[in-house]
Parts: sequence; structure tokens; C-alpha cells
Amino acid sequence: MITAALLAALALMLFGAAGPVLARSQWPNRAPRAAIVLWQAIGLAGALAAIGAGLAVTVAPLHGGLLGGAMQLVRQARAGHPLAGLGIDGSLGLTLATDVGAVLLIGLIVAAIRTARTRAVHRRVLDLVGRRSERAPGALLLDDARVAAYCLPGVRPRIVLSAGALEILDNEGLGAVLAHERGHARERHGIVLLPFAAMDSLLHFIPYARHARPAVAGLLEMAADDFATRRIARHTLAEALVAMASAGAAPSCALAAASTAVVVRVQRLLDPPTSSSVTASAAIALATCIVALPVAVILAA
Amino acid sequence: MRLGDLERRVMEILWAHLDEYITARAVADDLPGYAYTTVLTVLDRLEHKGLVQRERGGRAHLYAATESRESYVAELMLDALGSATDRNAALVHFAETASASDAAILRRVLARSPRRSPKRQGR
Repeated sequence: MITAALLAALALMLFGAAGPVLARSQWPNRAPRAAIVLWQAIGLAGALAAIGAGLAVTVAPLHGGLLGGAMQLVRQARAGHPLAGLGIDGSLGLTLATDVGAVLLIGLIVAAIRTARTRAVHRRVLDLVGRRSERAPGALLLDDARVAAYCLPGVRPRIVLSAGALEILDNEGLGAVLAHERGHARERHGIVLLPFAAMDSLLHFIPYARHARPAVAGLLEMAADDFATRRIARHTLAEALVAMASAGAAPSCALAAASTAVVVRVQRLLDPPTSSSVTASAAIALATCIVALPVAVILAA
Repeated sequence: MRLGDLERRVMEILWAHLDEYITARAVADDLPGYAYTTVLTVLDRLEHKGLVQRERGGRAHLYAATESRESYVAELMLDALGSATDRNAALVHFAETASASDAAILRRVLARSPRRSPKRQGR
């Protein structure tokens, strides 16, 4: 019972408090990649703890302990009488837990498939109407006066610029934007974002799911900025960012949050963070500990 | 040439004849070096994808693009621009649009910063 309580408390902490705390912190800006690993670790550890807690309540009485109980359950299932010895509570609990788990898993897969399909439709049209441009090698150009630049993730990611973006960027700025988008494409940021987007659309009521997607999306932009500034000057990228962000002339309230993210990125480019490798190492160590915690509790039970 | 490129060229021919139906023969005439049957196959594929409409006209089938090139571009731009609140995250963007006040802050920050900063270490 102690095991179940510990794991449940851990799951609550990770899915409840950890997300908002991490989303508010400033240090992830110094080490965006490591911070993304930490977000992933919290999700993984939370899921392990929740599943472990469910199992601990239902099957532990079978064989004096969580792992033993789970093994016993597998043996019983093979023998054809899975619910033997579980009692009414255990049987109901186990059925409920597996059903909830299955529904969540299927929901996440469906959400991911929906995103993949949106991308496929976009890609099909893009490949028909996107033009090549000598000024932007490797990118597809959309004949539209509005300003846009993005990466369409996929097996062969596409980098897309609008004519409006090409209009407002000089060659240096264009190089900076392309370098940033190549960072997204090269490091497969679309795949990193996919599970977080699926979680957010399905489990928006859970604080972790709600905070993780925008936070990770912002960190991926910083990671792409870091990729770009290994090849081009920080100031050039900052200028391109300002040019692109202020070209849209958005109403001042609607996009306040997203817009603040651009301010943070520009400040980060102009005043590069120091001691980022120490921060990164600490974040990775923390991520390891967080995943180890539920594993240790489960093994100790 | 890859099939995708050929589809693209067929669409471009149809887009050049906006608001009119043309025969597969007319499309093939604009694509020297391709067999008539190949063009028919491509038109058939495009019709299956919903990009091309077909109509019976006299002896031959007539073809037209379902939508103009501009409306497809507009469709893509809608995906590209309307995503600040999109939880689907199908695309990864370069920069969200800044509000007017933030844009002013951004330009001030940029103006204050030296163009080529000498080696910044410590602080």
C-alpha cells in the first residue's frame, strides 16, 4: 500500500506541479536541448508512476509485491484465468486501469495520426504550388505578399518562405532564416513536438500536458537558433527575427504570449547565455534522477 | 522525371487555362516528350486526389483544375499564419508575429546592441 501511495504521489507531483514550475523557470533558455529532455523525462516518469500505482493497488496482493504480482498476473493470464485471486476490487480496478490506459494510448496515437495527415495534405499542395527560388536555395516559395517562414516536418522536410518574407529580408537575413529552418529540419523537431502536441490536444486538463507543448515549442525555436548561430552571426539572426516578427502587424493583445517568446529569443541572441554547458549537465542529471525515481520504487516494492 | 514533377507540370498547364475545360490532347501538346497515355494517367491520378475535375465534352473528356493556384497558396498560408493557438502543431515556424508594443521593444533592443560584439565572456 505504501508503494501505491508513493507512486501515486509521484505521478501527481510530476503531472501536476512539475509542469507549471518548469514552464515558469528561466534556466531552460540557457540549455534548450537539455530542458526538452527534462520535459520528456517528466512525462515518462509520470506515466511509469501512474501505471505502477494502478498495478500496485490491484495486483500486489497476488504475490506479495508489485513486480511479483505483475508476473503472477501474466502467469495466470497464460493459464487462462487472469483474474483468479484478485477479488472483486482487484478485478474491477485492473479492468478500469487497463481500459483507461488503452483509451489514452489510442487517443494519443489518433491525435498523432491527425497531425501527420494535416502535414501530408499540406505537403501535397505545397509540392504542386511551391516554386524554386535562386535567392533561397533548398526552399520552396509561396506567391503571397504576407510574411511567413516555416518548416514542414516529414521524412523529407520542406523549408517554405512566402514572397512577402523574401521581400523584407536582405541576403544575410535570408541566410539566417534558412539556417534556422535547416536546424528544424536537420534535428527533426517536428517529431520531437508530435507527442507533446498530441498530449495537449487530448489531455489539456492535465497541467503537464497543457504546459509542455508551448514550452517545448519555444525551446525548439531556441535550439534552431543555436543551430543557425553556429553558421551565421548572432546579430544577423536577431535582425532577421525582428524583421519577420514585426512585419505581421498583429493586434497587440491577441498574440501577446507568442510575441514575448520572440523578445526572449532576441535577447538571448544578443546577450548569449554563459555557463550553458553546466546548466545542460545539471538538467540531464535531473532528468535521469526523475526517471530513476519511479523505477526504484517499483523495483523496491 | 519523377511522377510528382509531371503532376506539377500538368497542373501548371491547367492553371494557365483557368476557367476553361481543355482536352487531354491539349495538355499533352504542351508537354513534348510525353506519351498521350502517360498524360491521361497523370490526369486520372490528379482527379482521384481531387485536384482536377473532368467533364464529358463531345468525343473526348475535358479537364480543369478544381481550384486556382492562388487559392491553394492561400490555403497553405492559412496553415502557416493561423497557428499561434493551434495545438496540432503541424508546422514549425520561424517567428510568431509580435504585437505592436513588443515590436517596438525588439527594435530598441536591437539598436542598443553593437553590430559585431567583441568577444563577450563572463558576466
